[in-house]
Amino acid sequence: MLTLKIRILIIILLLLSILYIVNMVRRKRLELRYALIWLFTGIIVFILTLFPNLIKILSDLLGIYSPINMLFFMGFGLTLIIIFSLTIFASRMSIRIKELSQEIALRDEYIDKCLNKQKY
Amino acid sequence: MKNNKFKSLIIIPAFNEESNIVNTVKNIKKYKKDFDYIIINDGSTDNTAEICNKNKFNVINLPINLGIGGAVQTGYKYAFNNGYDFAIQMDGDGQHDPEFLSLMKKTMLETDANMVIGSRFINKEGFQSSTARRIGIRWFTFLIKLLTRKTITDPTSGLRMVGKKGIALFAKDYPKDYPEPETNVAMICNGYKIVEIPVVMKERIGGISSISVKKAVYYMVKVTLSIILEKIRKH
Repeated sequence: MLTLKIRILIIILLLLSILYIVNMVRRKRLELRYALIWLFTGIIVFILTLFPNLIKILSDLLGIYSPINMLFFMGFGLTLIIIFSLTIFASRMSIRIKELSQEIALRDEYIDKCLNKQKY
Repeated sequence: MKNNKFKSLIIIPAFNEESNIVNTVKNIKKYKKDFDYIIINDGSTDNTAEICNKNKFNVINLPINLGIGGAVQTGYKYAFNNGYDFAIQMDGDGQHDPEFLSLMKKTMLETDANMVIGSRFINKEGFQSSTARRIGIRWFTFLIKLLTRKTITDPTSGLRMVGKKGIALFAKDYPKDYPEPETNVAMICNGYKIVEIPVVMKERIGGISSISVKKAVYYMVKVTLSIILEKIRKH
């Protein structure tokens, strides 16, 4: 059962988290592009907590008995999506770093070759 | 005696512009007495690098693709490192007419501005962009006016010029995507003066510039939030 107590707790935690994330972006410690998905998740959970009827509808739809389980299931599902997208991101970054390293090494060699040529 | 003691740089970001880059550089050749230029090749996968090499153009070849923000910022870093007094952004696809270069510099000197933006929407001449884009642009103009009380009619214009202060600011901090509206707000929040002049832009020649619904939503949300966040940053 979704008690008032847990709803208030969730809302307080969410507001603190959203403020923290926004402040990180404000201080340029976090890129807005990657913070957006977290903010989006936070807003979804916020809305659901505010309107428990929505949770009731969704949980009936999915065949989940308890509304609060539905809430956590959704939060968990969204978190998994976020983690997977970060995995894709990390993978892409590692490829870009590899390419960057190779380019730098090749350019270093080219510069050395040019400098050595001048030594003659 | 030539009274041009100012060092000016034209920053030309280019990604896969093999069909346009030669013309773009040819068009600015007549201004070479007053303006240097640098092409920022943003990891093009076509023959842009080879063409620049063959024609001995001034080019910086980025080892990986960084997007428009990263590419243009590279230009600003180059301007900063080489002590330029003015830096002007121009697209590599030929949309921007170099005839406005001297006018922008003149305006900057006369009005003592820190930034001069070439706006399509003051006289509403030339290429006016699609309706959807214009609605988005008008939203940003409204938002910027609401937050800073300054009116910028073309906040997404890529044809803009900055002085030494702007060069230093952008070399240090520049957003990776859709950088123009946010950086305009950054200039305002730092107390820098922005002046707009009417310009005429041409339609895109060669290549495609499409934007999907998903990208459009991300664009509107991201730029709106960045403008608001820029306003509340410490300056």
